[in-house]
Amino acid sequence: MTKLAFERPIIQRINAGLPSKYGMSHRLEPLSHIDGTPIKDLIGEFGSPLFVLSESTIRKTYKEAHRAFSSRYPNVQFAWSYKTNYLNAVCNVFHQEGAWAEVVSGFEYDKAIANGVPGELILFNGPDKSTEDLQKAIRNNSLIHIDHFDELYEIIHLSKEMTERPKVAIRVNMDTGIYPKWDRFGFNYENGEAWDALNRIMANKNLDLMGLHTHIGTYMMSVDAYRIAAGKLADLAIKLERKHGHVLKYIDMGGGFASKNTLRGAYYPGTDTAPSFDDFAEAITSVLMSSDIKPDHLPMLILETGRAMIDDAGYLVGTVIANKRLADGRRATILDAGVNLLFTAFWYEHDVRPVQPVSDQTEDTTLYGPLCMNIDVIRGNVMFPLLKKGDQYVIKRVGAYNNTQWMQFITLRPNVVMLDSKGNPHLIRKREVLETINSQEVMPEHLKQFKL
Amino acid sequence: MVKIKKNIAISDSGFVFDPGSGDSYSLNPSGLEIVQMIKLGKDFSAILEAVTEKYEVDSDSFERYYYDFIATLAQLHLTEPDGKD
Repeated sequence: MTKLAFERPIIQRINAGLPSKYGMSHRLEPLSHIDGTPIKDLIGEFGSPLFVLSESTIRKTYKEAHRAFSSRYPNVQFAWSYKTNYLNAVCNVFHQEGAWAEVVSGFEYDKAIANGVPGELILFNGPDKSTEDLQKAIRNNSLIHIDHFDELYEIIHLSKEMTERPKVAIRVNMDTGIYPKWDRFGFNYENGEAWDALNRIMANKNLDLMGLHTHIGTYMMSVDAYRIAAGKLADLAIKLERKHGHVLKYIDMGGGFASKNTLRGAYYPGTDTAPSFDDFAEAITSVLMSSDIKPDHLPMLILETGRAMIDDAGYLVGTVIANKRLADGRRATILDAGVNLLFTAFWYEHDVRPVQPVSDQTEDTTLYGPLCMNIDVIRGNVMFPLLKKGDQYVIKRVGAYNNTQWMQFITLRPNVVMLDSKGNPHLIRKREVLETINSQEVMPEHLKQFKL
Repeated sequence: MVKIKKNIAISDSGFVFDPGSGDSYSLNPSGLEIVQMIKLGKDFSAILEAVTEKYEVDSDSFERYYYDFIATLAQLHLTEPDGKD
């Protein structure tokens, strides 16, 4: 008997209703699990709200970024941008993957050292480095990225007192054709200040000029800006070799790669518009490879990208506190996490989803946080399913900046867990308690008693 | 083992209704056949055997189609969340 022809099995949704300008009506699919772990169980065990970080997403994203650059350039090094998320467990995932540390303050520097990062693998950026910070960095052979002439002269001064030779790079700001132009950090390329700084460093016999650094902006949607920046740094490297015979060890292109979050007011979603790691890598490496730098003098390419490395790995999960109607009849849903925990809500139209499948009905809703502040809006005017009190929600792509810029305002910061590669949760930052805050306060003797 | 949610209504003609979401779907004949076998409690190897016996399809291709189809069902929330094959 001959067999029948096989057609692959399919199931198609039967759509009714009118298409919008984007096609058929949009539906927010629930997100019930993170890395195979039910969100409901995580909230049950660790409380609500709760930050959840996915270790496997961090590692996957790191590998993807590293592959994009290392497949195009012979010598690539990533450095984890501590300010983006300096929870120690997060830092250590990146360090396990091979990333150095990039820090912008004495506090972050100490954090990296405490995490076990060797001093010589720490890049020290930022405009505020105290004398003690600089001494420590020089002693540890860390790579100091000089921000201004006052810092340069302080390092020159310290180099005379200390036995170790400071390892330095300069931070270069420049016009890369984007707006706003970041010119407050480092030395300007166009007006010759950067070249001047390099010459002064070369003239000083106590300093080791290791590299050049730039950080052209944040949430960069244009890869062309990186192409221009890489070209200008390559020009400086060539001039240095031509004039001083000095070969740089590295060129540090900073960070600022856009994540897939959608900026407030953006027409298209970030998932459609953010360039990929391959796009950024192609722009940067093609310029360096085709520059006049001699092939055997190609410097190490350092990347400090933070946001694009960690945003996707972070989730904020929580519970609906209440629903209400606003004066104009719109629906307001109050969540138990607000801008105190989700600082990035000021910039992004975050992707908020229900955890459990709920009705297909949606309504024009404003999602508020729990603070007594009018600006505490997580999403304004979003077509959102009708969640009720006690229902759970999840906010995607919150890994960058929220665990460093969160506020302790009228409430305490919640637990943070990391899911390991098997989806098992590990508590990586304990929720604050009253004592956490009170332990830092000191009560003057005459204010200890009162009678009401 | 994959399980279709109990409340999902499936007609003999391949019309599927999810009362939880209010969504309705249509299955093609092979999709319907597979869903009916899943509802009868058959696992992947039993379904593979039945399908490859009846249809002109090799087991490798079917496995790919099958898991793609099951992932679609899961995406549409038609299967029990922890059901795996």
